Amino acid sequence: MKTRTLLRLVAGAAFALLSFGLPALSVSARADTLDEIKKAGKIRVAIDVAIPPFGMTDDKMQPTGSDVDLARLLAKDMGVELEIVTTTGPTRIPMLQTNKADIVISTLSITPDRAKVIDFSIPYADHPSVVAGLKTVQIKELSDLDGKKVAVVRGTTQDTDLTQKAKGAQLVRYEDDATMALAVASGQVDILATARSLLPAISKKNPARTVEPKITMQTNYLAIGMRKDEPKLLAWVNDWVKTNLKNGKLAAIYKQYHGVDIPTEDLLSKAGG
Amino acid sequence: MSYKFDFAFLADKWPDFVAGAWLTIQLTILSIAFGFLLGTVCAVARVYGGPLLRRLVGAYVETIRNTPLLIQIFIVYFGFSSLGLKLSAEVSAVIALTVNMGAYTTEIMRAGIQSILRTQLEAADCLGLTRFQAILHVVLLPAMERVYPSLASQGVLLMLASSITSQISTEELTATANLVQSDTYRSFEVYMIVAVVYLVLSALYRLGFWAIGLVLFERRRRLGTPL
Repeated sequence: MKTRTLLRLVAGAAFALLSFGLPALSVSARADTLDEIKKAGKIRVAIDVAIPPFGMTDDKMQPTGSDVDLARLLAKDMGVELEIVTTTGPTRIPMLQTNKADIVISTLSITPDRAKVIDFSIPYADHPSVVAGLKTVQIKELSDLDGKKVAVVRGTTQDTDLTQKAKGAQLVRYEDDATMALAVASGQVDILATARSLLPAISKKNPARTVEPKITMQTNYLAIGMRKDEPKLLAWVNDWVKTNLKNGKLAAIYKQYHGVDIPTEDLLSKAGG
Repeated sequence: MSYKFDFAFLADKWPDFVAGAWLTIQLTILSIAFGFLLGTVCAVARVYGGPLLRRLVGAYVETIRNTPLLIQIFIVYFGFSSLGLKLSAEVSAVIALTVNMGAYTTEIMRAGIQSILRTQLEAADCLGLTRFQAILHVVLLPAMERVYPSLASQGVLLMLASSITSQISTEELTATANLVQSDTYRSFEVYMIVAVVYLVLSALYRLGFWAIGLVLFERRRRLGTPL
């Protein structure tokens, strides 16, 4: 190890810092996002296409799912083209923060922590989280998870919840739903914490290892996420969600992909009328 | 959007980063060590072995070098457990990384071994060394010294590549970064910190390889010149 090599490493570090840091500083003064979307004629929507049935790819490798249809409807109503920016659970919010997407429609639950860094629209669907397991697994409450391996997707509300409430459980964190589903199907784990909506797809991967809901942890509400301080965009999206909840279009999309109804009245009352 | 850098979360989260970096170190040092042994044995087999053994090793090397590491990791972690052999994420990671490191080491060491002149072996024969002694003392050490920079680079590359084992739930440095990022939403800051930690780790690994080289290669230690 010579001094020159060390110098090179230091120079490399400085370069890395600069190339990361500069773009961040240069995006300060920016125009209104709604105006920009309309001017560009397209809206960039971040969607995770690996969470069936919200976002997935069909047999022609085209994105489909309830979040995708929602985004299509929104773009149509806004009169702009839809550009889907594929994302993953942990990168949904960074996509907004780094201006890679205009809005996020990606099973994004409203949480107080997230509300600190982004703005949420009024909820468009409910989203119960459950702890599920194989038929042979005996669990009734969170304390039964002590010492057991429980699969979660890193950074999801289930991860945060169980980290706080089931301290005895051994959380096994995967990067996305597909990897977690594979872990269950291949026998790496017998218990998982996820959205109820995901269970049929996971069981389908390996019918011999069908999972069933055991504990309902909490019901979250899904909303459209956008950057803070965008009052025009927020007002437009809120208005759009309310209209389409009332006319049943959102319920129809949900029913088509999930086979269950969304509690429209409940959602509208949460939205304040 | 004006972005303000905020590193305040470090006050709470630095032990997580340390734990993540520590696991990265443990995983990769084990993999590098096992991978080196595996690769050296395979390289000897590939150069001095019979036709069947040579072909077997060749198939192993080409398969591993021409498939993505992520797929190899998934096969060990998900594939084996589908067959009923449940390995933990960490064990799977070490196995996959070892096998990967072994394949690259085989090629690197083979180049080293083939650079040793035949006459050296003949000289060893004349001195009455057995084939095994000759390979061990006359061939392997100088061969390794010749390709040592490549070996060290491969070790560092493996350390960096170990970041993708976060996919199978090992809580190493990159997994820690993803977790902290999803907790605090300070993605810029988190990934910058982790980039710097990887840079420091790379420097430490290079320093380590250099020190091991000094211990191993007496000729180099005394003369200070490359072979």
